[in-house]
Amino acid sequence: MSIKSLRSTFLPENPILPAIVPVRFSLVLVALCLFTGCGNNPHPSPLREKREDGSPWKTAYRALPDTPRSLDPQVSYDTLGHAVIGMVYESLLQYHPFKTDPYELTPCLAASLPRRLPGPGGGAIYEIKLKAGLRFHDDPCFAATGGKGREITSEDAAYAFKRMADPKVECPILAVLQEYIPGLQKAYEQAKAKGNFDYQQPIPGVDVVDRLTLRLQLVKPYPQIVYWLAMPFTAPVPREAVEYYDGRRHGGETRPQFKFHPVGSGPFRLAEWNRNRLIRLVRHEDYRATVFPSEGWPIAENRRFQPVAGKPLPLIDEVHFTIIREGIPRWLLFRQGYLDSTGVNKDVFNSVVSIGQELTAKYRKRGVQLHKDTEPSTFYMVFNMEDPVLGRNRPLRQALSTAYNEDLSIEIFSNGMDIKAEQILPPGVFGYQRNFVNPCRQFNLARAKELIAAAGYPNGIDPKTGNPLELTIDVTSDSPESRQLTEFQKNQFEQLGLRIKLEENLWSRQQDKMDSGHFQIIAYGWRADYPDPENFFFLFYSPNRPPQGNNHSRYASPEFDRLFEKMRTMENSPERLKIIHQLNALLVEDCPCVLLSHPVYFSLNQPWCPRVSSNPLLSGGLKYAEIDSALRQERQAEWNHSPHWPLGFLLLLIGGAIGYAVFWTRRHHA
Amino acid sequence: MTPWLENLIVIGGLAILIATLWIWAHSDRWQRAWQRFRRDRLGIASLGIIAFYLLVGLMASLRLPAPAHGQACPTILDRLFSGVPKEKSYSAPFADTTYSVNRPEPLKGRHPLGTDVLGKDVLLQTAKACRTALIIAGLTSLIYIPLGTLLGIVAGYFRRWVDDIIQYVYITLASIPNILLLVAILMVLGKGLSQMAIALGITSWVGLCRLIRGESMRQATRPYVEAARALGHGPWVIITRHILPNVMHLVIINLVLGFSGLVLSESILSYIGVGAPVGTPSWGLMIDSARMELSREPVVWWYLVSATGALFFLVLSLNLLGDALRRAFDPKSS
Amino acid sequence: MLFSGPGDIMLNYLLRRILYLFPIVFGVMLITFSLFYVVQSPRAMALQILGPKAPKEAVANWLHNRGYDKPLFFNTAPGKPPLDSQFFHYIKSLAIFDFGVSDATGEPLTEVFKRGAIPSLLITLPSMLLGLFLSVSFSLFLVLVRKSLIDLTGVFICVVLMSFPIMDYVILGQWLIAIKTSYLPAFGFNLEGITTAKYLALPVCIAAVAGLGAETRLYRSIFLEEINQDYVRTAKAKGASPNRILFSHVFKNGLISLITLVVASLPFLIMGSLVLESFFGIPGLGNLTITAIRTSDFAVVRAVVYLGSLLYILGLLLTDICYAAVDPRIRFQ
Repeated sequence: MSIKSLRSTFLPENPILPAIVPVRFSLVLVALCLFTGCGNNPHPSPLREKREDGSPWKTAYRALPDTPRSLDPQVSYDTLGHAVIGMVYESLLQYHPFKTDPYELTPCLAASLPRRLPGPGGGAIYEIKLKAGLRFHDDPCFAATGGKGREITSEDAAYAFKRMADPKVECPILAVLQEYIPGLQKAYEQAKAKGNFDYQQPIPGVDVVDRLTLRLQLVKPYPQIVYWLAMPFTAPVPREAVEYYDGRRHGGETRPQFKFHPVGSGPFRLAEWNRNRLIRLVRHEDYRATVFPSEGWPIAENRRFQPVAGKPLPLIDEVHFTIIREGIPRWLLFRQGYLDSTGVNKDVFNSVVSIGQELTAKYRKRGVQLHKDTEPSTFYMVFNMEDPVLGRNRPLRQALSTAYNEDLSIEIFSNGMDIKAEQILPPGVFGYQRNFVNPCRQFNLARAKELIAAAGYPNGIDPKTGNPLELTIDVTSDSPESRQLTEFQKNQFEQLGLRIKLEENLWSRQQDKMDSGHFQIIAYGWRADYPDPENFFFLFYSPNRPPQGNNHSRYASPEFDRLFEKMRTMENSPERLKIIHQLNALLVEDCPCVLLSHPVYFSLNQPWCPRVSSNPLLSGGLKYAEIDSALRQERQAEWNHSPHWPLGFLLLLIGGAIGYAVFWTRRHHA
Repeated sequence: MTPWLENLIVIGGLAILIATLWIWAHSDRWQRAWQRFRRDRLGIASLGIIAFYLLVGLMASLRLPAPAHGQACPTILDRLFSGVPKEKSYSAPFADTTYSVNRPEPLKGRHPLGTDVLGKDVLLQTAKACRTALIIAGLTSLIYIPLGTLLGIVAGYFRRWVDDIIQYVYITLASIPNILLLVAILMVLGKGLSQMAIALGITSWVGLCRLIRGESMRQATRPYVEAARALGHGPWVIITRHILPNVMHLVIINLVLGFSGLVLSESILSYIGVGAPVGTPSWGLMIDSARMELSREPVVWWYLVSATGALFFLVLSLNLLGDALRRAFDPKSS
Repeated sequence: MLFSGPGDIMLNYLLRRILYLFPIVFGVMLITFSLFYVVQSPRAMALQILGPKAPKEAVANWLHNRGYDKPLFFNTAPGKPPLDSQFFHYIKSLAIFDFGVSDATGEPLTEVFKRGAIPSLLITLPSMLLGLFLSVSFSLFLVLVRKSLIDLTGVFICVVLMSFPIMDYVILGQWLIAIKTSYLPAFGFNLEGITTAKYLALPVCIAAVAGLGAETRLYRSIFLEEINQDYVRTAKAKGASPNRILFSHVFKNGLISLITLVVASLPFLIMGSLVLESFFGIPGLGNLTITAIRTSDFAVVRAVVYLGSLLYILGLLLTDICYAAVDPRIRFQ
């Protein structure tokens, strides 16, 4: 990385200003030939060739579509950040890698699942015991131990909760948790008034009982709290690291900010993060929190997983997350064998997936595995319920929803793989009705036209002006795909005779508009934080308004709110199911959004790196992955064969030109 | 804006352009150049191609009355293509079925350049994009040509502090790398065709101004200007009657060559993401989309080829016409 | 101060040139300031962020926290220094290269630029040299066979090459070299000594080839101009071989115009690398800028515009120095 190495290696190859043409020409040719010997492997070499015991050093190569904005576990709230944070930080609990129907939580840093005790005044107390002897990553910030990672205690877990309440940290889930642990809110307001957060003072409700025991005291029941304990927000964080990595200069050296230099307890530690190119993780030698599970996998996988059951993790040594913003290179690198796994986007779909949604012969022969997973998420187009046109006109909203042909969209844009959404809950979440039919989501143009006439706009014409009704969709279209989808959406609504204006916003502007409510229609998607219906219905709960909440449609129905409040603290039961169906019916009737789809992701794994866990909620599942480096090397060589004749042809062409020049000069100037 | 007003603006703009050329074309110098240009086969051919593009652009701009109340007014081009149906998704040029390995479906019509992901005819889109390119390049020229010419002549004729100020302004502008200035202006102004024309106009007058300034400086010392001054003509008379006609050929050459640069800039800006707004047909956006499609298997090549081809032939003929004009006006230099 | 010897004349000349640059830098600051503060006014920005119905105190508070409530250019309020304005604070921070932090990530921009400069230079510098080398060779070749059919075809091919947008070169190059023949990686970058070259080779070649048409045509006309000069005729009359005339006379004399052109073309390299870097995933300044555009990170764009112009102005200065070194007459003007 230093400039020194650069100078020594690069400069001699550069031709300086040419003096005599032919000599330089041949130099360039030689250089060209040298380059071709390099091959097309885009990855930097791994840190080591061999492990200490002589076995091969195993490196996984994955791609990220963008660089995460922050790797602070208490701040990051997007899948991109969690993909990396899940590897670097362990939380108190985690999802079982194999048990997904229903999802099951298992202890991670905690020694066992939290013990629930009755709390005073109808509340609940959760007692969490940590495993003993777990250590943070080695890092210079641990001055007391000379850089060696310190043992994780309940103080660190409590420290994570304190950070959530620190106004400077800006934790996005504080609003959710402070409702149950009021001490967080109090600490937040005190710090805001004083200007800085007092980390010495304990937060009431987050009690450190002893070195390894933490007690959370909730003022009212909230069964979903255990899911938050499996998310990075509650991951223990060493206070030393947060204070050490402050982004300021110390003795001539600028330390990175904590969000760019995570120090955690996960199976991997951050070795390198070149913002726009690569995140390199290396195994955490002292990782003891989890081992490979000894049960739970499908019986068919017995032969594969039996030998590794109970083995220490991680099974591999290094992970490269290469940041590749464009879809093409991502696919290309996978095809060349330089990525271990990738998603299948629609452009390459036909070459990979055959009619029966199976792998095509070419890739089957290569030994590639195809996986189809339904994400616990829902995409929809939000109607602004406070908009004077859309908000007070239920038939208009229903007309728009009925006119939107999602089946066609799925066929064009996802090769028919996504699941059409007819309810806000995605499959796999409690309360999802498999055969539910939403009348407004059955494409029917005639019915839609009736509805829009009933709405007061026959044939889409506004009787007041005599012109087509104009609606605006706010979009951020930064990729060709989103541009095409936007145009499709416009065409769908315009079938009703009205006119759709597309307003293009920069990303931040779009966020502002969503927060302030200055829009008519906006596309939105929600991915489950945890597999509970509460996590989806709260998108329409009226106190959950932006900017604090995610009720972007600003839907406000007293009936809905009342039912929701009743439903959210219930344990799964037939009564709860009944309320869920009522909530669903309310949303269908009021139609505050056009439900689009539950995306199904097709992903591929190379033969040397078969997939282990199919749990979409488990981030950091790479610790279970195994890699056959020898097979990879063999296949890479096989798949990347360069022909030599084009080079010869090029040489011939240049030689011919020189020869002709010489010939011509001789003839004309002699 | 009513469609008729729109049509009037388009036709009016074109008429003004032709009238201006007509007036200038009567001078001796232009007549001689025309004689030379007529024998230049490459020049004539490229002029023909450009005329064709202009025709397509015109057809994509002029609107016909709406077929029914409340509907949008179609352009002539829309009417010409009204018999071309919309397909379901991709189809190859002249294909009978959609472009799908697994489930090909019969098409409703023939498409000489195929269809895109939404099933729209690529030929129609390419033709419509022609209008976008011409409008942006045309509007920009409308901004920068008068600005650059006027400031150049003024600086060259008056010299001294006028020259100093104008020079200072353009050197400062020129010292901000063009593309970055464009991006910055467009980020602040927002997306849109007129915003793009303004941004391009601000950045492209500098070259012309520099050129005209030099030439007017040379002209200003010529005996005929001295004579006019001795006869008591004011500076504005001298500038409009004597200097302007003598630098006009440079303006025309610059206009033609600049036009090709502007068409290219439009496509690059659209590609970077600060150009044409979504839904506008544009070669740059088409090339950007085509990028994704090239990695499809089997490859969707016609989208890229259509956009690139249309862009290429326009820019090529503009470049060739510029060269031909230069040869015609200044036979010595080549 | 008195200047006497020839060395002092050069120094004097240089000083004059450097002093002349200050108003230009000031102008650039003024332009970027007007673009990002006056046209996109902080008040509008605040209303965008806080919503048009935001209470007045909230807007005022937002503006105050960022120093945006100060007057734009001059502070006329009594008891305040007249230069306590947004504009002068802006100038002050730019002058000491304090670009602030990125709007998107909060990283200090100075660090970000330091990191991005090397990959960028690794692309632009070699591509400029390679492009120069190729186009000079081709133009000399065309001059050698001038007025023949080859020459005409060559010029036509140049015009053809000029008429493609750079994206086409990138798409074609990636498809041909990386996908179809797998010579070089289609993507990626890593600073690790000699193997860095394999990531650079393709983008560098593409950049060089994309500029080939325009440059070859330009250099050809420069060399043709030289070849029609009197001294060439004299040399020919004396019996010098055509190769000798071309390389030692025409090439050397054309070199002066060449140097100016090369320096003037430096900013255009940024334009090319803007597209190239994002296509090839090279973490340079171009990639940074594109990302900033897509995430509307005004702070980065503002700083990149300013830095770009500084580099260009530096280029102008270097041209002047080159000119003065080659042609002593200039110093006395």
